[in-house]
Parts: sequence; C-alpha cells; structure tokens
Amino acid sequence: MAAPTERSGSLVESKSGYDPRLIAFHGVVALLLAVLGAGLAYQQLIKGSIHHEEERQQNERRVIVPGPRGNIYDRSGRLLVGNRPRFAVVLYLDELRPEFREEFIRVRNNYRRTGEGDIPTSSQLERIAHTSVVKRYMDQVNEFLGRSGEVDSGALQRHLEHQLLLPYTLVDDLKPEEFARLVEHLPVNSPLQVYTSNTRYYPYDGAAAHTLGYVGVNEGADDEEFPGEGLTTLKMKGSIGKDGLEKQFDSTLQGEAGYTILRVDPSGYKVNPPIEHRLPVQGHNITTSLDIDLQKAAEDAIGDQIGAAVAMEVHTGEVLVMASLPGYDLNSFSPRLSFAAAADIEDRKAWTNSALNGVYSPGSTFKIVVSTAALLSGAITPEETPSDCDGYMLVGNRRFGCENGQGHHGSLALPEAITVSCDIYFYTVGLRTSADVIAAQARRFHLDRPTGIELPGETHRMLIPSPAWKRQKRSESWLPGDTANMSIGQGDVQVTPLQMACFAASFARGETWTTPTLIHEANRPGQHTEPIGLSASQRGAILKGMEGCTSDPEGTAKFLTTIEALRVPGVRIAGKTGTAQVVRPTGKADEAWFICFAPLENPEIAVAVAVDGPPGENFGGGRNSTPIASAILKAYFAKRRGAGIAASPTQPAGHS
Amino acid sequence: MRIGRSQRFDQARPFVALGIAVAAWFAAPTAFKAAVRASFFEMTAPVAAAASYANDLQRFWALRLHSKDELIEAGRDMARLNASYTLSVQQNGELESEIARLQALLKMPPIEGFHFEHSRVVRRDFSSWWQRMVIRKGSDYGIPVGAPVVYSGGVVGRVAEVHAYTSVVQLTSDPGLRIAAVVDGDTRPISYQGGDNQVFGAPRGIIEFVPLDVYASATVPKRLATSGLGGVYPPGLTIGRITHVESSADGLFKTGEVELDPRISELTEVTVLVRDNPG
Repeated sequence: MAAPTERSGSLVESKSGYDPRLIAFHGVVALLLAVLGAGLAYQQLIKGSIHHEEERQQNERRVIVPGPRGNIYDRSGRLLVGNRPRFAVVLYLDELRPEFREEFIRVRNNYRRTGEGDIPTSSQLERIAHTSVVKRYMDQVNEFLGRSGEVDSGALQRHLEHQLLLPYTLVDDLKPEEFARLVEHLPVNSPLQVYTSNTRYYPYDGAAAHTLGYVGVNEGADDEEFPGEGLTTLKMKGSIGKDGLEKQFDSTLQGEAGYTILRVDPSGYKVNPPIEHRLPVQGHNITTSLDIDLQKAAEDAIGDQIGAAVAMEVHTGEVLVMASLPGYDLNSFSPRLSFAAAADIEDRKAWTNSALNGVYSPGSTFKIVVSTAALLSGAITPEETPSDCDGYMLVGNRRFGCENGQGHHGSLALPEAITVSCDIYFYTVGLRTSADVIAAQARRFHLDRPTGIELPGETHRMLIPSPAWKRQKRSESWLPGDTANMSIGQGDVQVTPLQMACFAASFARGETWTTPTLIHEANRPGQHTEPIGLSASQRGAILKGMEGCTSDPEGTAKFLTTIEALRVPGVRIAGKTGTAQVVRPTGKADEAWFICFAPLENPEIAVAVAVDGPPGENFGGGRNSTPIASAILKAYFAKRRGAGIAASPTQPAGHS
Repeated sequence: MRIGRSQRFDQARPFVALGIAVAAWFAAPTAFKAAVRASFFEMTAPVAAAASYANDLQRFWALRLHSKDELIEAGRDMARLNASYTLSVQQNGELESEIARLQALLKMPPIEGFHFEHSRVVRRDFSSWWQRMVIRKGSDYGIPVGAPVVYSGGVVGRVAEVHAYTSVVQLTSDPGLRIAAVVDGDTRPISYQGGDNQVFGAPRGIIEFVPLDVYASATVPKRLATSGLGGVYPPGLTIGRITHVESSADGLFKTGEVELDPRISELTEVTVLVRDNPG
C-alpha cells in the first residue's frame, strides 16, 4: 500500500486560485438569481396591486338586493300602496357542494355498476346529480306542504351557472299556514329556508288605480353606487314605477339597495361569511292629498259607466278625488301582470286616466266662462235680457236649437239663463262678446294648457279655439256658427275633467287659475292667483244662477234637491251641468258634465264630473253626472260633520 | 445521556396511538360513528337516571321531615286547588263539546288529539351552543322525535332525540329551535327562535317576520304563543313574553326579543304531548 503523499492528505482544495469556469458558472447563477429577484420585485412591488385586484375580482362576488319601495298614504294616513311580504321556500345551492359531489359519485358508480353502454359525460353526470339533490329537497317541501312541485332541470342549471350565490326558489308566494309549517319543520341550519321578498300591495284594490299607478320589473340598482367595482355582480330584480304617482315619485319611493360581498372558491361556491354586508333600506313614504273615502264614493257612484271625477280643495288645490273608470285592480300587477289581465284591461279600454287625459267638450259648463267674458267685456249686464228663447235661433243661415228644457225659455236674465242653461241666451251673449274675447277669458282660466299636476303624461290635447287658431290650423275662416257653438262649450272646445275641477276651484275663490297637487301638506297655504275681476253684483249673478241650477225646480241639476238620495243636507251648492253631443266612430253620443263647488257661502270643495254616454242613449249632465258629484259631496260633508264613512281595505293575500 | 431510538418511540407511543385512533375515527363510516354515539348514550343513560332517582329519593326524605301540621295545611291548599281545577275541567268539557258541535256544523276536520306522557327530568345541558335536557322516558313509552314538550307555564321545547329509556329535549331557549308563533290577539304567524343564551343568563329568544303593526315593550310586554299552524305544537301554548320589537331596515317586518320563563331552566318534571294518531 503506497504511503500518502503530502498533497493527497487534503481532499478539500486541490488547487489554489479560482477556476474560471466556476466563476463563470457562479456568474450565470447570480445572473439568473438576479433575474428571478427582479422578476419577483416586479411582480410584487410594481404589479402587486394589479394582481391583488385580479385575485379579488376572481375570488369575490357582489350580490345587490333592491330596497323595498316606500308606502303611499292618503291624506288621513291610510295606506293606499304598501309592500306585501312574499314568502318563498328557497334552496341555497352554494351550501350543497358536498352533496352534489357525493351524488355525482353515487350516480357515476351506479352507471358503472349497471354496466350500461353509454356512461354520460362528466357534465351530464353533474347535471343529473344537481337535479337529483334538488329534487330530494323539493320532495321534502312537498311532504311538508302537501304540494306536488317539480324541479325544472333547465332553470336549475341556468341558476347554477349564472346565479349560484342567489337563493333558488322552490315554491313561491307561500300561504301563512305554509310559512308556519316550514318555520317549524325546517332545521335552522338547513340549506332549505324560508325567504322573504316583497311585492306591491294595494289595500283598496282598484281604487285610484290610474292616479296611484303601478310598478314594473327593474333589472336592479346601478352597480356603480356600491363598493366592489369590477366584481362579478349578481343583482336581484327590483321594481320601478311605470305609471301614476309610482312613476312620478319613483326616485323618492325607490328603496336603497343593499349589497353583500362574498368570497368564493374557484367553482363559485361561497366559502366564508360575507366580507361586507349592508341591508337594503325602504324608500321614502308619500302622503297624497287623496281622500280614500271620497275616492271610493266617487268610484262607486260612477259604477259601470265610463267617466271621470275630480274633486279638490278650493283653497289649496289639493286633489281629494281623481277617479277614472273603467279601471283595473292594481293587485293584478303584483308581482306581475298576466297576459290575460293585460288583454282584459286593453279590451275594456281601461288604461287611460280619463280625468287627466280624457278630452271632452265641456258643454254648458263652459257657459260660466262665457258669462264671465261677457260681463267683464261689458257685452251684457246681469239684469238685461238679451234674447227671447222660443226654442231656436238662426245664426247666419244655420238653425241653432235650445237643447235644454225643450226651449221656450222666453226672456231671461243671466242668473235664470244659467239656472236653466238656455242655449239661445248664450248664443246671443257669445255672439255679442265675440270668440276672441271668450277664448281670451278661457285662456285666463288656463283652460288651454295642462294643469301641471304631479302625474306623468298629462295630455296636451286640450283646446280653446279662436279665429286665429282656425285660420292657422285649418286655413278656414271663423264663422258666427263657430262662436255660437263655442258659447255653449261645443265645437272644437276640448278640456279635461281635471282642468274643469281647477276652473271650478278658481271660480269659487274668484281667481283665474288653480295649480292642482296630489301631495298633502298639513298646513299648506292657500293659493292666490290673479283675481277674475268681476264686480260683486256680476259675481253674485253668476253664483245665483249656479245655485239655482242645483236648487231651483227648473234648474238643470234639480235632482240634487228633488231626489232625496242625492240631497246634500244643509249645504248650498253652486253648480252647472253640461251635455255635449259628440260624434264617435260608434255613433252619436252625449258627454254628461257637472261642475260645482260648495258650500256656496264659503267654498271648500270643487268637483268636476264627466261621463261618456253610450252611443244612441240620451245622457245628460243633470241625470248622469250629478249623482256622482252628490256622492262625493255627501261623503265630504259627512266627514266634516264627524260622521265619517270609512272605506274598508282588503287584507293582503300574503302574510301580514 | 443519549436516549435510544426505541426509548424515544416508547415515549411517543401514546401520541402515535392517539393519532391512529383519531385518524381511524375520522375514517370510520358515518353509520358506525352514529351507532357508537348512540351506544355510548345508552350506556351512560342509566348513570344519569340513577342520579335522578337518587335525587327523587332525597326529595322524598326531605319531604318526610315536614311536620304533620305542614302536611295538613298543604293538603288543605291542595284540596282547594283541586276543587278549582275540577271546576275548570267541567267548564273545559262543556267548551269542548261546544267546539265539537260547531266543528260538526261547519264540517271542519276534528283537531288532532294528544295524550300526555309525564316525565322526570334527568339532566340539564346548557351552553351557549345548545340548551337541552334529558328526560326519563324514551321509546319505551312511545315518545317520538319531534313531539312537543310542555309544562304548566307553556312550551318547554321539542323532543330532539329518542333513546330506549331516555329522550333529549331541545328547549325553547336553544338557538336551533324554531316555532311558528302568534302574538296574543293576532292570528298572523311569526317565527320564534331560541336566542344566543349564556349558561347562567335568563333564557331569551328572538322573533322575526313580526308585522309592522305589532307593538310591545318591556313595560307593556305581549304574550307570545304557539300558532298551531306549524303542525308540531297545539295552538295557544305560551312561549314567552315579547319585551322588545324594532323595525327591520327593509321596512317589511319587525324583529324582537322574547323573555322566556326562567323556570324552564329548573324544571324537574315535564309533559310530552304524543299524538294519538300520528300521521
């Protein structure tokens, strides 16, 4: 055995100095480490926030839940539109992941064991497993409730793919007993739970339907209002006002949506309690000026007729009644309007709010405007008798009849002419006054423009014709016959019931216009607009005629006195009837009007009623419209005397 | 001194054994685990029952120490109470026959009947997580899972587990128990659930889905009773007193707190309502 040499004793270092290859190798390693370090620094320091954001977007989901809408009340605080809780039994699919997995394995093993030729693909097996698990829960619910609900496999799959974090509804709109059964039978920690949402509820069904309006489905709140920008967002559907006050005050009524930010795993299943959560908040309430007792009285009185009625406070312009029939049951819109119900409303032509959008010839109610114009212009004095009514008169070559009382009124002064509504008197007065002056007076009363009430879609089709208008629109000359027609509120004169109610209120105050409002304020100041300018004797003459209309045995609204059921005891009513003949596609028909205010000595309430007569039937303001006004006035003064009639709401179909 | 490898293993053996046992338990089938749990309960039940019998005996002898005068006085009070109950039973009999007559007139289905199984309380098990008690009757007396349990003050809870000679009762203070309830004088069902109760705290519960027109406060509390609509409890049994309600943020309902009778934590005897014709 050879003795070890001096150098062979050290195995650690056999060569002094550095091996250039080793140095190069170290350099390469150092360079690579530097690249790695730089890369790490770049990803961590520079792109760190971007990665963090991407991770957040991948791992977090945002669920937005709309807030319930605010309530709508009548002026006495009675609920007109509220929210009805809607109970559903739902399944939280995101809690079923282990069950889905177990079922998937069981189904797959079954296929393998039975040795069937075509084993479904993995996604098909998943689908079978999902449906099978959910069906088990559905069977459980069916057993509790005695129902026979089934699982829609397609809908379930869509829900799993797009809305996994939202509860999947198994049975909707539970009855109170069903709710109670589930509360007692479902374990507290079950993925099967009772879920509450809300839907609009209308205690008085179809009362004031057009005024209150309805809601439709809203796809959800605006994402940008919530934290978690850029996150995948699941929104539960809310509601949006589509008509009436619901539409006009949508931003006020709309609730404040709540949100939840959840952390999810790569498959989209919720893994932790919410990161952030805010409960939805109910929208603001609105107190309308409507009085539901008066509203119901008006609608009951209109009954099966087609027509509208408006009543308002004389001094404030607060609308107490805005009725339009035919109407519809607002509860049929909740939670959504069926095709059948929509078709029915369409067939009955019930969509239109006739009080706001129905344009009618005002007929003889316009004679108050004509009287005012004539008195102010000096064309007549209250005492003079400018005509001798023997049933007709010739205007140009055309024969104009007196439609009221078969004519033969003889010589009348203004009060009597208003009381009996003598057409011959007003043809004569109108011709003396001139169309331009009458039109100017009507415009002073704001009968040529929308009232500006807080409702969407008020018509602009109202019309106060004049010679200039006819020349411009029809390139025709204004004829004396046009003035005669205009003098009795016919021809091209077109107004809405709401306008005429405003006119009645304005006239009752001795002023020229009234801005109507549907919002109630406890201490709303009275309106003061430009005075009409009639002298006391002139105003007295018109008022005498209007009172005679309702109290004189010859008055056109004498039914308010002669028929016990229509009488409003102890109240002096100033009124004016009107019957306008119109030609419709279905034939000639009458439009029956009545405007009034009461009590005469200190007016508080003004009413306008317009009823469409069926073609071929003899309709009249006195016969057909005064009963409706009477119902409103009786309800109003009964309440004033403290013997209020209370309209009864219906109970919601749901829980509360 | 160095420790040998075998000695180190000997020292670690208990931990290894424990680890193996825990792993085996986790790996065991669910049915096996359930069977072991049930067997354990059945095996330990006689111990608790024996303690309960001993307690009863102790009370018996404690009562024997009372003087004859006290017994005579108690007997007299009992006789009076018995007389008033006898009268109430007669009145109830009349009312029941009237109800039966009205039901027949209205062609309503008869209300399902219950029979009573009175049972001594063996053990109470209160924690923040659950509030339970064990009673001395089980499947030997035909007690089913889910049967309502009551006492003179109203609802105690419902039977959660049934064993051969004992049953576990989930109390109304247990956060896992829900009842479809009604507020006194109202017919709309609301949800009652046991609250987050402390071990020695006064038992409380919470109510949800309370209609907005229901008001109650600590000074003017309202009685909360079973609705009878849920199918488990007969109607009209007292659950507790609503001492606080407040509107929820969404404005749809109110939520509130219910004060339960503190006696449910100290009961020595309860009654299980067993359906005569279980569906």
